Amino acid sequence: MTQELTRRQLLERAAMGGAAITFPGILAACGSSGSKASEGTTSVEQKLAKTLNFSNWTLYMDVNKKTKAFPSLDAFQKKTGVHVNYTEDINDNASFFGKIQGPLSRGQSIHRDIVVLTDNDRYLGLMLRKGWAEKLDKSAIPNMKNLVEVQKHPNFDPDREYTLPWQSGMSGIAYNDTLTDPVLSVDDLLENPKLKGKITVLNSMGDAMTIVMLANGDDPTNVTDKAWNAAFKRIQKAVDNKQIRQFTGNDYAPILARGDLMAAMSWSGDIAQLGNKHIHWNVPEGGGALWTDNMLIPKGGNVYTASVYMNYVYDPKVQGLMEAGDPKRNITGIYYIPPVKGAGAFAKKYDPSVANNPLIFPNAKTLSKVKIFDSKALNNQKYLEQWQNLISG
Amino acid sequence: MNLFHRHRGLTPYLLLAPGVLFLALFFVVPLGFLAYQSLQSGNFDFGYTFSWQWSNYWDALHNYEAQFIRSLEYAGIATLLALVISYPVAYWIAFRGGRWKNLLLLFIVAPFFVTYLIRTLAWETILSDNGFVVNTLQSLHVLGPSGRLLATSTAVVTGITYNFLPFMALPLYVSLEQIDARLIEAAEDLYASKWHAFWRVTFPLSLPGVVAGTLLTFIPAAGDFINAQLLGSPDNHMIGNVIQSKFLELTDYPAAAAMSFILMAGILLAVFLYARVVGTEQLTGTAG
Amino acid sequence: MSAVAVERARTRGSALATAWAFVKRYVLTVYSILFFAYLLLPIAVVAVFSFNNPPGKFNFTWNEFTWDNWRYWNGVPGIESSIILSLEIALIASLIATALGTLIALALVRYGFRGRATTNILIFLPLSTPEIVLGASLLTLFLNATFITVQFGFWTILIAHIMFCISFAVVTVKARLVGFDRHLEEAAMDLGANEWTTFRKVTLPLIAPAILAALLLCFAISIDDFVVTYFNSGSRVTFPLYVWGSARNGAPPQVNVIGTAIFVIAVSAMLVNVVVQMRREKRGAA
Repeated sequence: MTQELTRRQLLERAAMGGAAITFPGILAACGSSGSKASEGTTSVEQKLAKTLNFSNWTLYMDVNKKTKAFPSLDAFQKKTGVHVNYTEDINDNASFFGKIQGPLSRGQSIHRDIVVLTDNDRYLGLMLRKGWAEKLDKSAIPNMKNLVEVQKHPNFDPDREYTLPWQSGMSGIAYNDTLTDPVLSVDDLLENPKLKGKITVLNSMGDAMTIVMLANGDDPTNVTDKAWNAAFKRIQKAVDNKQIRQFTGNDYAPILARGDLMAAMSWSGDIAQLGNKHIHWNVPEGGGALWTDNMLIPKGGNVYTASVYMNYVYDPKVQGLMEAGDPKRNITGIYYIPPVKGAGAFAKKYDPSVANNPLIFPNAKTLSKVKIFDSKALNNQKYLEQWQNLISG
Repeated sequence: MNLFHRHRGLTPYLLLAPGVLFLALFFVVPLGFLAYQSLQSGNFDFGYTFSWQWSNYWDALHNYEAQFIRSLEYAGIATLLALVISYPVAYWIAFRGGRWKNLLLLFIVAPFFVTYLIRTLAWETILSDNGFVVNTLQSLHVLGPSGRLLATSTAVVTGITYNFLPFMALPLYVSLEQIDARLIEAAEDLYASKWHAFWRVTFPLSLPGVVAGTLLTFIPAAGDFINAQLLGSPDNHMIGNVIQSKFLELTDYPAAAAMSFILMAGILLAVFLYARVVGTEQLTGTAG
Repeated sequence: MSAVAVERARTRGSALATAWAFVKRYVLTVYSILFFAYLLLPIAVVAVFSFNNPPGKFNFTWNEFTWDNWRYWNGVPGIESSIILSLEIALIASLIATALGTLIALALVRYGFRGRATTNILIFLPLSTPEIVLGASLLTLFLNATFITVQFGFWTILIAHIMFCISFAVVTVKARLVGFDRHLEEAAMDLGANEWTTFRKVTLPLIAPAILAALLLCFAISIDDFVVTYFNSGSRVTFPLYVWGSARNGAPPQVNVIGTAIFVIAVSAMLVNVVVQMRREKRGAA
């Protein structure tokens, strides 16, 4: 029943301008830019372990609502004989990192083979810089060629030696049409007096600063002090004159749902899942932020087995099912943006409403308007302190 | 006859041993490490080294004075509120509860069974800008027409008070229940009014409970961060929030450690002053 | 007591005075009922929303009534094991912490010994330490104990919970021991009981309410703890950890179900206990 309602909602809102061309589809048509010859740095023993310890965020895997099983994980076990010990014990990049840096900084294993961290927060890059990630066994991941183009050379891991995307999402502005006229720009959000005290901004520096910098006409993928200061001052002003009610993580959702907010800087996936047809999400006029949760193998993890799993997940057929779920079999999908080319075609077979949802399979135009924050800036101590002092009074 | 034993051989040490040893290992040792960390310098990328960096303490005090003071303020107000709100109920349960006492005590701690996040979300629903409570307060002109309860310092203090009520109510009950009702009867026969009897007899006898409740509420409340995070705006944030962000977001462990010690010192100072006022016997439980 | 007051009012010969005496008798009861209403209001909201069929992933707005959440209370992976773990830990930790705390309280209140002031400070310190550094420092201890391989999970969580609960138990039981009438014990000993028998038959029953209060308090703290648990749980997930984690994508209504259910079960168990006591008393009187 929940499933049906969601689909109905999604179908009602599917029209986001013209034919929803799936992004992976475009690339397949244009032809991808030559596959990288993946010479594996395989001094890795190519033997499968009995168990794969996979730590992930909650509700980030396809799940059978009746049996509580994870269909794709069960299928993986059937195929390879590897049991996935799946724990949903990550709820926040900062606190998870705070927890694992203890053992990792002492050269101890954290007994996990795969963990998932977000790229628009400093911790993913920090793991790589401190040498706490193992190199992927690329020879075991031929499906890596299915990685969508825009994700192939991120600035924190230019050759994808250590990380592979799990799912992506976008950050933009949501508004409640029963309470306000459409809020489509940062100008409106931060400076429209009608919205005073009725908006929230994300407490994530990567998200908020990307959006405001884009609104200022600056480039968030290459942050300069000047651009930073301009965006920072703008947000500061909105704090000082009480325009901004609170800085939130994803806890804007309940506030938005009960009507205490007119607009909120928010993540695309959440809004689709609120199931409230009066709340609309858009990429802001100046542009929005793109974030990607990445898989990585922490030091001490079993490289080969983890790589084999990653390869499995990058099979478009598998990804399609994981993404869309299968209402006929009571399977709920992930409903974020998949990083695998061709997944859309398979998703269509299981749940066409998901395949047509522009928030899950955004078109090229949308994707061109979302940017990833400069990872150098993410570790700039001065910026970090300024930001924390701003959101923590 | 003085039943207070002095130097009664090994008995006190035997009584203390299990608990104190446990705390010594699992609290004092980690605390020692924290102290060590508080004097380190460096940064996360290249590592921290121990260098008697007292400036960590000075910087913390200097930069975050407002939050320190605010925390003690909020905790103080919340403690006072909790005392005033809980005392009558603790009295009622102790003297009128009868066989239902234990059930009533259970009701007091019951909210904790639904986890902090869920009960706070429930409160947010109740206190919503468009909800019954806010609308009523607006029509009574307690709140301005665009006034709200959430995301204010009122919400933060109220949140702290609510979540610490059991910590105040239970110790109060524990000490009130001990009072022999006949003492109160006798006092009422001697004094002209019930109120007098209460103030001169009952309240002083319940002082150990008042002190216990105050300590169990004020001390942890001062370091609280979660109420400010969910129910407040940036200008209501407490020192707990700053320590949280120093540790998690800025990975500045020495700063977080130093701030924690300053907070602890501030709390101990407040407790010391409080002990002066109520008398150290209440705090430490001896006549000498 | 109230008879005296009413007597006085009558002798003053005013109906108003009688009414006032009546009000004074019940104002405390009315106040207490209001207090419990205030205390349990969010639980009522939580219970109501446990019957909600959420419009999407988030259970924030009422959509429609359903029994499904209760029928499939463990229909979300991980939720059942998390609440079982939390209950286990809370039970064991509160028992041990209360026991250790009671012993410490006895020593502190009744004996003078070297290191008394220090022990008192030692008890207050864990209360004043911010949770994040408390949790992280304990984690560091476990990590540095390389001479044994520390298995993060049940035992580390248990140790952490006992650690921060002891102080609460000590302070609560102390509130009872301070001002405890020692003459009763004196009398027992004069009658020939030794220290241990006196303790068992006189002291313990008299401080029982304090021990029960300490148990309840420790249980509540343990079952609701997040920060310290998070750092020391390895990959085990307790109920608060589960709730905080799932909140990112919408805590399922089953979370409401479990919270409400525990409340109902605990209250029912207590009610049964009271009724049994009442029956016993009746039988005893008969």
